[in-house]
Amino acid sequence: MAQIRLKNVSKRWNNFVGVDNFNLDIADQEFLVLLGPSGCGKTTTMRMIAGLEEITEGEIWIGDRLVNKLEPKDRDISMVFQSYGLYPNMTVYENIRFPLKVRKVPQEQHHERVMAASKMVELDDFLQRRPAALSGGQRQRVALARAIVREPNAFLMDEPLSNLDAKLRVSTRAQIKNLHHTLKRTTIYVTHDQIEAMTLADRVVVMNKGLVQQVGTPMEIYDRPANTFVASFIGSPAMNLIQGSIEGGVFTASGIRIEGLTSVAKGPVTLGFRAEDATLADSNGQIEAPIYTVELLGEATMLSMRVAGELVSIKVGKDYRAEIGDMARVAIPAAACHLFDHSTGARIA
Amino acid sequence: MSQATLSHKRPLGLTILITAFIVVWVILAAFPFFWTVWGSFKVEPDFFSRESWWNAIFGVYTQRQNDGSAFTGSGYYGAWVTREFWRAVGNTAIVTVSVTVISLTLGTLGGYALARSGQRYAFWILILALVFRAMPHITLVSGYLLPFFQLNIWGVLPTSIIVLVAINQPFTLWMLHSFFLSIPKDLDESAMVDGCSRFEAFRRVIIPVMWPGVVTTGLFSFLLAYNDFAVTSMLLSADNQTMVPKISSFLGSVQEQGNVMFAVAAVVSATVPLFILVLFFQRQIVSGLTAGAVKG
Repeated sequence: MAQIRLKNVSKRWNNFVGVDNFNLDIADQEFLVLLGPSGCGKTTTMRMIAGLEEITEGEIWIGDRLVNKLEPKDRDISMVFQSYGLYPNMTVYENIRFPLKVRKVPQEQHHERVMAASKMVELDDFLQRRPAALSGGQRQRVALARAIVREPNAFLMDEPLSNLDAKLRVSTRAQIKNLHHTLKRTTIYVTHDQIEAMTLADRVVVMNKGLVQQVGTPMEIYDRPANTFVASFIGSPAMNLIQGSIEGGVFTASGIRIEGLTSVAKGPVTLGFRAEDATLADSNGQIEAPIYTVELLGEATMLSMRVAGELVSIKVGKDYRAEIGDMARVAIPAAACHLFDHSTGARIA
Repeated sequence: MSQATLSHKRPLGLTILITAFIVVWVILAAFPFFWTVWGSFKVEPDFFSRESWWNAIFGVYTQRQNDGSAFTGSGYYGAWVTREFWRAVGNTAIVTVSVTVISLTLGTLGGYALARSGQRYAFWILILALVFRAMPHITLVSGYLLPFFQLNIWGVLPTSIIVLVAINQPFTLWMLHSFFLSIPKDLDESAMVDGCSRFEAFRRVIIPVMWPGVVTTGLFSFLLAYNDFAVTSMLLSADNQTMVPKISSFLGSVQEQGNVMFAVAAVVSATVPLFILVLFFQRQIVSGLTAGAVKG
């Protein structure tokens, strides 16, 4: 009932292109994450859906209504802002109640619905406080409660966790995921944090410079990045990318040689592989280079070494120990390698 | 706590010097006002004595004219009853309240629009407002005096109100504009997503948060209208005079014998409301002037 459709949506300010030709169908009850670095147009896209930003070109449909010309209040969506946007002069209770009040929901339902919403985000004890007397995490939960109290068509969340500390971010993230499961509403979530995107999303839209780079489930995006931008943006550490050339299924660059790749490609290419797909080898490794740093992560050890001018990360067992400058041999299975076009960065295989 | 330790560390000589300076400064600042209040209960030969200024303190002539009492209310009686100062008080009330209400209504709406508009012309409107603000008040009066006569609107209160609003508006617009800028845009936007129209967001969410700014700006508007002499003395007929030109008329002119004690009594009467006003609104004024208090 509340699928959201974006058809050729663009946003321009004079000559600056904020969002370029955005096309997407968002299914009812889907959790969609817009992911990208700052300035990529993800927030602009969300603000256009909310009605806070005019659409230069294209159409946005919510349900079966064309909403281009509708005021934000008539779109029946609710939004959680990065800076919370709480009303400082009202108590938590009044903050949560505000949408019901302005939308003229019958008075007698107010109390019950406010209590239900505040219970869902565990705010019962703070209802009579003002936002200034709350911590960041509590304020964020007030914002969440205010968004869910009205049971709108869709939730929009604009980097809701970015002002929280790391620990709180994890628990609030879990809470958002659980809320989505309980309420079953279409949710659009904007973030620059790829871990949030991976953990929350049904589908992720990766954006850069106003353009959609890839749309897919978290695993598709992780396993088959559409280009070097997505490859370098998703995953921690990012995918290792090495410039080199391929000939007859053999990739070579200084310090690296991988056989058994696709023989379709020829000439200069970019090769990518993930740190956890590489293993240490006794002999016949694809890479042989001195160790640049050793980082102990606890559950694993991260080696980096300089190959073809790039720092390459390799994830090895937690007990591995070596000194900086020691030689290491690394095996990279051909099946774990990704090939990208040298100039456009688009995926070849 | 920290203040106590600070003064503890300060050398004694410096503490004495600072205290002495503050005492002298307070006396200097407050003296003219107390002198006027004291003098307003004397008769003219005392307060403006040519023999000795001690007369103003002991009230030699006041005692002589007043069966031995060193204080008299004759200045107040003359101003309020004989010369009908209460009429001027009423006129001032009408003018100041109207100017404040009109300035604030236009100023909040305009200031909000300018603060939230991304258009370039918003900036130029503000610059233009600054130019009009810098203009001497009297230019607005002298240029329009003749048209006001011709339109037969000279001498009445509404004309003065309009002129005072025109003088005051650029300032209120600037001041409120910067207050609105200090309120995060997210607040309007969450209100609009929550179900408000632009105007409802302004009325139900922004104005309540803006209250200290509105009070501060309102106070400045009020003071401008209250203290104005240039406009009201030129534009109001004798019957419609507000307090300040009325006080000036007590001093007399070439045609008229004045009574300076009426003026002194009226000055004191005109000052009292200001004290009450500032005392009443001091909290909002302080938080308004420090602006940061607006943020949630």
